[in-house]
Amino acid sequence: MQPLHGLLDMLVLRTLLFGPMHGYGVAKAIRTSSTEALDIDFGSLYPALKRLELKGWIASKWDVSEFNRRAKYYRLTPAGRKRLRDEHAEWREFASAVARVMNAKPEAES
Amino acid sequence: MSLWRKLRYLIPSVRRREERDIQDELESLQQFASPAELGNLTLAAEDARGVMRWLWFERLGQDLRYAARSMGHHRAFTMLVVASLALGIGANTAIFSFMDAILLRPLPVHDPDSLVIMKWRAKSYTLATSGMSWSTDGSTFDEATGTTSSIFPYSALDLFQKSDDVVASAFAYASASRLALTVRDATDSVKGQHVSGGYFEGMGVAPVAGRLIHAADDVPGAPQVAVLSQRLSRNRYGDEQAAIGQTIRINDKPFIVIGVAPAAFFGAEPGAIPDVYMPLHADAILSPSSWTARKYSDDHLYWLEIMARLKPGVTRAQAQAALAPRFRQFAESTATTDAQRQDLPALAMQPGATGLDNLRRQYAQPIYILLAMVGLILLIACSNIANLLLSRAAARRREIAIRLSIGATRGRVIRQLLTESVLLASAGGAAGVVVAWWGIRVLTELLSNGRDNFTLHAELNWTVLAVTCALSMFTGLLFGLAPALQATKVNVVPALKEVRASDAPRRWGRFGLGHALVVMQIVFSLVLLVGAGLFGRTVLNLHGIPLGFDRDNVLLFVVRPGSVGYQGPALFQLYEDLRTELGSLPGVQNVSLSAGALPMGGGTMAGVTIVGATPVAPSNDGTLRAALATVGPTFFKTMRMPIAGREFTDADRAQAPKVVVVNHRLAAQFGVDNAIGRTLTMGKDQFEIVGLVDDALIFTLKEERRAIAYFPYLQAASAPYGMVYEIRTAGNPLNLAAAVRSTVRQKDSKLAISDVKTQAAHIDQAISSQITLARLCSVFAALALVIACVGLYCTVVFNVARRTAEIGIRLTLGAQRPRIVWMVLRGVLAMTIAGLAIGIVLALATSRFVGSLLFGVAPNDPWSLAMSVGVLILCGLVAGLIPARRASRIDPMVAIRYE
Repeated sequence: MQPLHGLLDMLVLRTLLFGPMHGYGVAKAIRTSSTEALDIDFGSLYPALKRLELKGWIASKWDVSEFNRRAKYYRLTPAGRKRLRDEHAEWREFASAVARVMNAKPEAES
Repeated sequence: MSLWRKLRYLIPSVRRREERDIQDELESLQQFASPAELGNLTLAAEDARGVMRWLWFERLGQDLRYAARSMGHHRAFTMLVVASLALGIGANTAIFSFMDAILLRPLPVHDPDSLVIMKWRAKSYTLATSGMSWSTDGSTFDEATGTTSSIFPYSALDLFQKSDDVVASAFAYASASRLALTVRDATDSVKGQHVSGGYFEGMGVAPVAGRLIHAADDVPGAPQVAVLSQRLSRNRYGDEQAAIGQTIRINDKPFIVIGVAPAAFFGAEPGAIPDVYMPLHADAILSPSSWTARKYSDDHLYWLEIMARLKPGVTRAQAQAALAPRFRQFAESTATTDAQRQDLPALAMQPGATGLDNLRRQYAQPIYILLAMVGLILLIACSNIANLLLSRAAARRREIAIRLSIGATRGRVIRQLLTESVLLASAGGAAGVVVAWWGIRVLTELLSNGRDNFTLHAELNWTVLAVTCALSMFTGLLFGLAPALQATKVNVVPALKEVRASDAPRRWGRFGLGHALVVMQIVFSLVLLVGAGLFGRTVLNLHGIPLGFDRDNVLLFVVRPGSVGYQGPALFQLYEDLRTELGSLPGVQNVSLSAGALPMGGGTMAGVTIVGATPVAPSNDGTLRAALATVGPTFFKTMRMPIAGREFTDADRAQAPKVVVVNHRLAAQFGVDNAIGRTLTMGKDQFEIVGLVDDALIFTLKEERRAIAYFPYLQAASAPYGMVYEIRTAGNPLNLAAAVRSTVRQKDSKLAISDVKTQAAHIDQAISSQITLARLCSVFAALALVIACVGLYCTVVFNVARRTAEIGIRLTLGAQRPRIVWMVLRGVLAMTIAGLAIGIVLALATSRFVGSLLFGVAPNDPWSLAMSVGVLILCGLVAGLIPARRASRIDPMVAIRYE
C-alpha cells in the first residue's frame, strides 16, 4: 500500500522526529513503524527528501555510518518541526472528519 | 539558507557540485541495502534534480511576475532607472569601443609584440632639412623635447637590415598619397602605399588571394605589380580571385594585380587603410623626377618610414642599445657642417604592436576627455539609481513589514527585492546595448566629420559592454539589497505603526546618503556644464575668427590630372577648360582654382622684397618671409575677398608681364602705403603688384595674420600636379556635386575627383575635435543636468512626504505658506550650494587638462563657470519649487488626520 498523496511529507518529518537518519533509513523506518503496511518505494521517497530540504524543513549533513563509511544524514529543522505540528493537526482534523462520515449510522431505514 | 542555496543553484559549478552530491549520496546508500531494495536510483536522482529545478523556477516565476507588476505601477521610477542605466552603459561602451579601436587594438599581423617602429629625436633637424618636404601624413612632430620623426633616408633601411644580430627583418613604407586608380574604365581617387620588398613578409601577413609583394618586385626595372586591399577587390571585381592577373592603371600607368591583402590588415596605421600597395621603386614610374632618383642615393633626404621585427628573445631595450650607436655613426658620416654634427638625430625605438601613433596623437586627447565625461555620466547614472532605489526602499518599509507580519520569511522578501533589482538592471542593460550600438554610429559620424576617406571603424566591444553592465548590475544589486536587508530586519510592530515612512529612523546619519548622492550629481553636472561652456565658447571663437573670405555657398573639390599623365600646356588647358565648363553649369556664380583650399594646413614661405622699400622686421637676408599662394583667375571674386586694384584674369599668362597680388599685411610690413604699381621681387624674379587684398588666413585657422603674396598659376613655370576648384553657387553648394562630377568625367574618364565638400565643411574639419567635443560635452552636460534634477526632485518629494504631518501642524499653528515653500527650498538650496562649492573646486582643478584644445578662452573662464552655476541653481530651484509649492498647499486638517 502506498501512502495517500500529500501525506508522504508528513510521514518523513514524523520519522525524523526520532533523530537523524540516512535516506534509506527513512524509507525502512516508515515501513517498520507501519508494520510493513506502507510500502515506501525509495525512488519516490528520495525526491521528497530533496524537496523538504529545499523548503528548509529538513537539513542534511555528511557523516560516518555504523559501517564506518560516509553517508548523508537528514535531520528535522525547527521550521520542519513547526510544519510537522501543523500538518499533523490538519491530518487529525481531516481523519476525524472522514471517520465521522464513515461511522455515521443511517438515521431511519424504512 | 534555503534562499541562498536556491540562488546558488543558478551558478553552473554549484549546480554540478550539487548534482554530484546527489550521485554520491545514492551510491553511499549501497552500504545499507541491496540494489534490489533501493530500486531505480538513476530515476530517483533524475526526479530529485527535477524537484530542485522546478522549485527554483516556480519561485522565480512568482518573483518576476510580482516585480513586473510593481515596475508597471511605478512607471516613472522604472523609466528613470532604465534610462539612467542605458545611458551610462551605452555611452561608456561606445566610447570604450572607440578607445579600443584607436588606442589599444594591435596590428593584425603575426606576433605584433616583436615589431618596433624606428624613430629619431633631435633638437632641430638641421641634418635632414632637404628631405623634410617629403614628410607625409605629418610624421614629424614638434614636441617640447625637440623634434621626433619617423622618416629616414633609404640607406638607413639597409643599415637596419644588416644589423642581423638583433633584427630579424627591417622593412619600410611610404605613403603614395592619393592616386587615380582606373579599373575597367572607371577611375577613382584611392589611397596608395609604397612598401619595401620585405614589408609583407616582415609584418607576417598572408594574402587572401594571389601573392604579396616580394623582394624581387622592389628593384628598379622590375615588372609593375600591385596588391589590392580586400575591400577594393571586392568592390571592383566581386571577389578576390577575380582580381588576380588583371591589369589596372594607377595614375594611368599599367600595373598587374598580383594579390589581395586581408581586410583586417590596415597597414601600419590604424584608421588609414591603403587601397593599393606598390613596391617602393614603382615611384620611378608613377612620378619620374629628379627627386625620385635622389630618394635612393641622397643620405640627406629623409622620407622613408621603417619598422623592424626583432629576433626572438631580443628586447626592445637591447635592440635600441645595439642599433643607436650604429645609426649615430651613420648620421655622423653624412653630416657636413658643425651645426649638423652638434645636433645628430638619436635613434628612439617605439613598440610597433599598435601601429603608428599619428592617429593616436590626433584623437587620443579628445578620446580621453570623452572617456572622463562618460565616466562621470556613469557615476551620475549609478548614483541616480542608488538614490532612486534608496528612496523607494524607504517608502516600502511598511509594505515589507506587512509582508513579514503575514508570514513571509525574510529570505523570501529579500529575494523578491533582489529580483526587482536584477530585472531593472537587465532592462537597463538591454537598453544600454541599443544605446551603445547607436552611439558608435553617431561617434563615427562625428569623428569622421564628413571626410570620405575616414576608414576607422569601431565595433561594439562585448567585453566592455559586459564590464559596464556588470558595474551597473552591481550598483543596482548593492543599492537594492542594502536597504532590503535593513528593511527586513525591522521589528514588525513599530514599523507597522509608522503609518508612513515619516518616523523611519535615519540610518545614514543626519546628512542622508540620498542627500550625499544628490550633491555628487550636482558636482559632476557642474564639471560637465563647465566643459560644455568652455568647448562651446571655443567653437564660437573659432567660428568667429575673421577668415578674410566668405565661407558660405562655396563647393570645393580636388582634381589631380598630373597623376594621369597631363603635363605642360595640356595641363594648363585642362584646368582652364574645366573652369569654363564648370562656370556654365546652372546655379554657378563664379569658379576659380588654387593650389590648396583655405586654410591649406601648411605651405610654402619665401623671402620677398618690394623695390624701394625695406621690411620693418627683415629676416637675415634682408627680405620679408611671406606665405605664397598660387591661385587662378577670378579667385578673389569667387572667395569674395575685397581687393583694391585688379583681380587676376585670363590675360595673366606666361607671355604677359608677371603680376602679383599682396595683402595689406605684406604692404604694411614694408611700410608701403600704396603698393599697387610697385615691384615685388622674389629671388631673381620680379612681379608687378596689381592688387591689394584684405588680410585673410592661409595656412591654419588659428594663425596670426601673415604677409601673403598671391601668384596667378597661369604664369607658373609648370601647372600644379593637382588643384582645388572653388565654385560659388547661388543655393546649397552640395546640390551641384553630381553635376560637377559628371562634368569632370565627361572631360576625361580617367580623371578622378576627390574631397568634394563645402568650404564651410572644410573649415569645420580643421576644428573637428573642438566641434565634436563641444557637441558631445553639451549633450552629456544636458544629460547630467536632467539626471541631477530628477535626483533632486525625488529627494525633495520624499522629504516632503516624510514631513507632511509636520507641515500640517505648522500650518495649523499659523505658519504662512511662503514660509513652508521657503522651508522646503532651503533644503534644496543647501544641497545645491554644497554641490556647487565642491564642483567649482573640481572644475577649476580639471579644466586645465583640456587647455590645449581651447581657443580664445582660459580654462578657468569665469563666464563659463558663472553660466554653469546659474544654470544649476535655476534647475535646482525648478526641481525644488514643484514639490515645495505642493507642500504649501497641503490641507492641514487632512495632513494631521492622515496620522
